[in-house]
Amino acid sequence: MRTVVEVENLSKEYRLGVIGNGSLYKDIQSWIAKAQKKPDPWVAMDETSKIGRNRFWALKNVSFKVMQGERLAIIGRNGAGKSTLLKILSRITAPTSGTIRMKGHIASLLEVGTGFHPELTGRENIYLNGAILGMKTHDIDKNFDEIVAFSEIESEFIDTPVKRYSSGMFVRLAFAVAAHLNSEILIADEVLAVGDQRFQEKCLGKMKDVSVNHGRTVLFVSHNLGAVKQLCQKAILLEHGVIKAEGEVGEVANYYDQMIRM
Amino acid sequence: MTDIDDNKWDLVISADKNLVSFDIKEILQYKDLIKLMIRRDFVSVYKQTLFGPLWFIFQPLMSTLVYMFVFGNIAQLGTDGIPQPLFYFSGTMLWSFFATTLQKSSDTFVNNAGLFGKVYFPRFTMPITYMVNALFTLGIQFGFMLIFYVYYFATGYHFALTPWILATPLYIVQLAMLGIGFGIMTSALTTKYRDLRNLVTFGLSILMYATPVVYPISNVPEKWKILFQLNPVTPIIEMFRYSFLGNGNHDLLMWLYSLVASIVLFWVGLVTFTHNEKTFIDVI
Repeated sequence: MRTVVEVENLSKEYRLGVIGNGSLYKDIQSWIAKAQKKPDPWVAMDETSKIGRNRFWALKNVSFKVMQGERLAIIGRNGAGKSTLLKILSRITAPTSGTIRMKGHIASLLEVGTGFHPELTGRENIYLNGAILGMKTHDIDKNFDEIVAFSEIESEFIDTPVKRYSSGMFVRLAFAVAAHLNSEILIADEVLAVGDQRFQEKCLGKMKDVSVNHGRTVLFVSHNLGAVKQLCQKAILLEHGVIKAEGEVGEVANYYDQMIRM
Repeated sequence: MTDIDDNKWDLVISADKNLVSFDIKEILQYKDLIKLMIRRDFVSVYKQTLFGPLWFIFQPLMSTLVYMFVFGNIAQLGTDGIPQPLFYFSGTMLWSFFATTLQKSSDTFVNNAGLFGKVYFPRFTMPITYMVNALFTLGIQFGFMLIFYVYYFATGYHFALTPWILATPLYIVQLAMLGIGFGIMTSALTTKYRDLRNLVTFGLSILMYATPVVYPISNVPEKWKILFQLNPVTPIIEMFRYSFLGNGNHDLLMWLYSLVASIVLFWVGLVTFTHNEKTFIDVI
């Protein structure tokens, strides 16, 4: 087995408080006040205290490796740094320091139905959403019937604008596109919190199936420990931006369970 | 396994400090996305409308009529001997191509924050999409302008076509580069300062009057002329009118200046844009 994802000393720093004042006019007033050594008229009350000026490390020196075909869960409390890690892995924001190296085509799924346009039909949205997620038109052509079948949407509705869809139909169609991404690495946020229980099971099954049969690597973030245990083999537990535990999914999940009970 | 060679990896993410990290190959990989985005924007504009695509013609046509009345009849501004409808219509369509591209590009980050916050694709695809959509509109309007053209030709008006007509694609490319360049330059700033968006809207409507859209440059007093010609859009519109209608100013030196300005502004825009696209989401 070869390493397909390698994260090395990854850190991300955020500035707390207000970045600028939101308008150039106010910023200029702040600069003038500073130049005249007067107090800044736009300084927020909490910023005068020490805490407000602090910088905050959402991730600190996070390192791990993922082998091909592995399904890795990233768990942790709210604010532990899971979303930040996903955003960096998906190239939505850049890290402050550290490096990530990846092999193969990467698809990231932080939300289902990204870029769906209400005025366009189901068919048009399949193509558009697929393209946003990095698929080529001819790949979608090949998978089109399968996507529609997976979504369980009656074929007479496929040429109807999606604004007329029920919310369930909308979500199923969106997930169906995502489920057919032909990437080697799939990065998924809590996208399974959609649809009814049965459809969630189906999505999990599909993700596992592609991983087992086609060697796809999955990085999965979820609060749902049940789903995590069902899908993944390994897990990483984040706490305050550092890795608290890593290893076999059952052990890490138990550790996390105990931790949140304390 | 421990030997780390960046060349073996398909993707390396790090805190990139490069000044320009513009990757044309990557954008070409997303050409299907660009096509679909163009289609989406084009189609969604006239879904559930009464007149549909006719709006692309109505708008410049109404402006032309208003300009003919206000600037042609009331203010009695000249048109360098070019028939008024042709003069105003050609100016308006070129100006709105530039202005629309600029305005939309300048909102790239603000308008796509939801999308950019959820999925990665080269951010520069969006300004390209906006420009191509404006280009389609321009194409339709250009076709309409030819109707005027044929009408005047049939009624015996003599147009002195010049070989410069062959440079038309270059004029359009110039306007596109200026529009995108200015637009993406301000897009980096509008993420931080929202009020700059108002300034862009307001500035564009002022700038239109500093560009020979509703008057020819020959009407400008001699001492102010150089100031007007420093506006890089001015020589393009003047050259376009000269190429098709044979009248008006054509100052080749000023046009070369505007060509250089377009390239420089486009490049500066790219630098600021690529510098900001990686972390804008933390600021917005």
